[in-house]
Amino acid sequence: MTTESPSINLTSHDDVVRVEDLKVSFYTQLGVVRALNGVSFNIPRGRVLGIVGESGCGKSITGLSIMQLVVAAGRTEGGRILFREDAGQEPPVNILDYGKNSPEMRKIRGNNISMIFQEPMSSLNPCYTVGNQIEEAILLHQTNDKTEAHKRAVEVLTKVGMPNPSRIAGSYPHELSGGMRQRAMIAMALSCNPTLLIADEPTTALDVTTEAQILDLMRGLQSEIGTSIMFITHNMGVVAQMCDEVAVMYMGRVVERATVDDIFYEPRHPYTISLLQSIPRLGRTKGRLASIEGSVPDPYSTTPGCSFHPRCPVAIKGLCDTIVPEETIVDAAKGHTVRCHLNS
Amino acid sequence: MTTDDMLLEVRGLKKHFPIRTGLMRRVTGMVKAVDGINFHIRKGETLGLVGESGCGKSTAGRAILRLHEPTAGEVIFNDPVLGKIDVTQADRETMMKLRPNMQIIFQDPFTSLNPRLTVGQIVGEPLEIQHRAKGTELSDRVAELLQEVGIRPENMTRYPHAFSGGQRQRIGIARALALNPSLIICDEPVSALDVSIQAQVLNLLDELQAKYGMAYLFVGHDLSVIEHISDRVAVMYVGYIVEMAKTDKLYFSPKHPYTEALLNAIPKADPRLRTRPERLQGDVPSPANPPSGCYFHPRCRYAKDICSVERPPLTDIGDEHFVACHFARELSLTGVQPLSDIKLQMPPARSV
Repeated sequence: MTTESPSINLTSHDDVVRVEDLKVSFYTQLGVVRALNGVSFNIPRGRVLGIVGESGCGKSITGLSIMQLVVAAGRTEGGRILFREDAGQEPPVNILDYGKNSPEMRKIRGNNISMIFQEPMSSLNPCYTVGNQIEEAILLHQTNDKTEAHKRAVEVLTKVGMPNPSRIAGSYPHELSGGMRQRAMIAMALSCNPTLLIADEPTTALDVTTEAQILDLMRGLQSEIGTSIMFITHNMGVVAQMCDEVAVMYMGRVVERATVDDIFYEPRHPYTISLLQSIPRLGRTKGRLASIEGSVPDPYSTTPGCSFHPRCPVAIKGLCDTIVPEETIVDAAKGHTVRCHLNS
Repeated sequence: MTTDDMLLEVRGLKKHFPIRTGLMRRVTGMVKAVDGINFHIRKGETLGLVGESGCGKSTAGRAILRLHEPTAGEVIFNDPVLGKIDVTQADRETMMKLRPNMQIIFQDPFTSLNPRLTVGQIVGEPLEIQHRAKGTELSDRVAELLQEVGIRPENMTRYPHAFSGGQRQRIGIARALALNPSLIICDEPVSALDVSIQAQVLNLLDELQAKYGMAYLFVGHDLSVIEHISDRVAVMYVGYIVEMAKTDKLYFSPKHPYTEALLNAIPKADPRLRTRPERLQGDVPSPANPPSGCYFHPRCRYAKDICSVERPPLTDIGDEHFVACHFARELSLTGVQPLSDIKLQMPPARSV
């Protein structure tokens, strides 16, 4: 695989990560779960890409695959994840060429690419102070000097808007509120100035006022230090407020990619349209909500053709239920693509 | 307003949980989860009860049904047979007669259905307990109920694990519906569901209300969902109702600073409306150790001296708009901006 790398040509603008035809399956006692069935997308440098979809669509697995943190039962069966640390770097590296525990991967993980998770309580270690946990990453990747690491940990806690950061550095996760813990997680993720930050539902467990604080913080930090963000969420409101570009996922495939404005104002895929129609809109919806019939299919089953066809109100008999639609370009300039037979 | 269409009146309801510490399990403090709330629900209407986690909204719902025994206060329920009765004072026998008219739907469809009972047994249980039906009559009624909520009656003999989250929530609704209640307490019935399933369940609740005319107390934290489903909305903050009004009034001209902050914080599903309003700082105080005076004063940007001393009572400022704020009549607060009406159309259907 590495020998091919020099021929890789990233398109016009500079992408931090380019995922190509990624396939991941889980082999369990109950059967095979095809979690990702050929996922492709790119994250332009300095931008926020939203990955949106319902539970079980594979959005978290996509994030974990980039970090090479997928559990042992999950096998990567194809595709490439091309990562380019800085704009001039040629060629980009294919993360999947590295072993999960290889020194190269450990150098990237937590340093160049870092991740924040949904549940801040269960992703922080309860036995160590917040400061300790932030220093761990800094000591591993940046410096050997413990006092320097501590100084940086306090610095980064200040940056995420912690009141009294030196005291917080000495406290344990259980002493902090949910919003504070998520701030500590963000501080940890940003401690090594990552090129890419993967945020997996970072505000789902938080209350609406705390969520607004955290989103403001992430937006502010993003424009200040220019980190690219992959923002995984199921909340369309959060997508509208946070993201520049959006990839909509359904059953292990990206079904539509576009700028955030196009996703909300010019959606093309029936799934995107139904998803938008089914959320109650402030001051707008009284009476019936448009809903998507049926539910997300059982993960062990495989749907022939377009995976959305059993629930799609405009599916074409004999086509949508047999042939998987290719990704077609709707608007090349804005990078709007859709996987749907009705749009090809 | 005639008093007859009043279904439920809650007056000064309190639920305090003791904090016990040490070897002797001595009571060292109280968590004032619900601390003196007043509200009413009319027949056939939906009251939304909204607030952040830990504000006591679920506890309030459960205290009404005495799933948590209330510490103080009155819950006057207008029973179709027994007339107006204080639920908190009712004895065992009276409770048995009251229960069929007050039902509840729980948040988590994965833990609120007994995994060892079939769906038919789950939905039929209330009918058996109340001796409403048995034998084939029972199974006919269960089949009818399942049909009503969109579950095929053939599935009666299957167990809950065979169903998805949305389907399980429908089963929970069928169970609540079994005895034709006049009040259903919906304790966050859609927050565990995916967006597309959430819409289905909200529509179902709407349809059932139109058909059977029961009232809902809809407890939730998603302000968009609450707006959609409710006729009136009550906002809770640390065990206290701070504002209650008709839905449009509350959303478009809020009178309490907390309501304003809450509405501001909703992530608006429109990328062209990226507002960066004044954000509420700090965290929700602990109900075990709340601040003095108005509980919201440490975070309130309009707070004056009096706010830290005296807790404002919930008062009617006209047209059933209740506010608990010293300056409710003076402040001019901003509500939500209605989202733009984006016309979305499915691509036209085609054949091959």
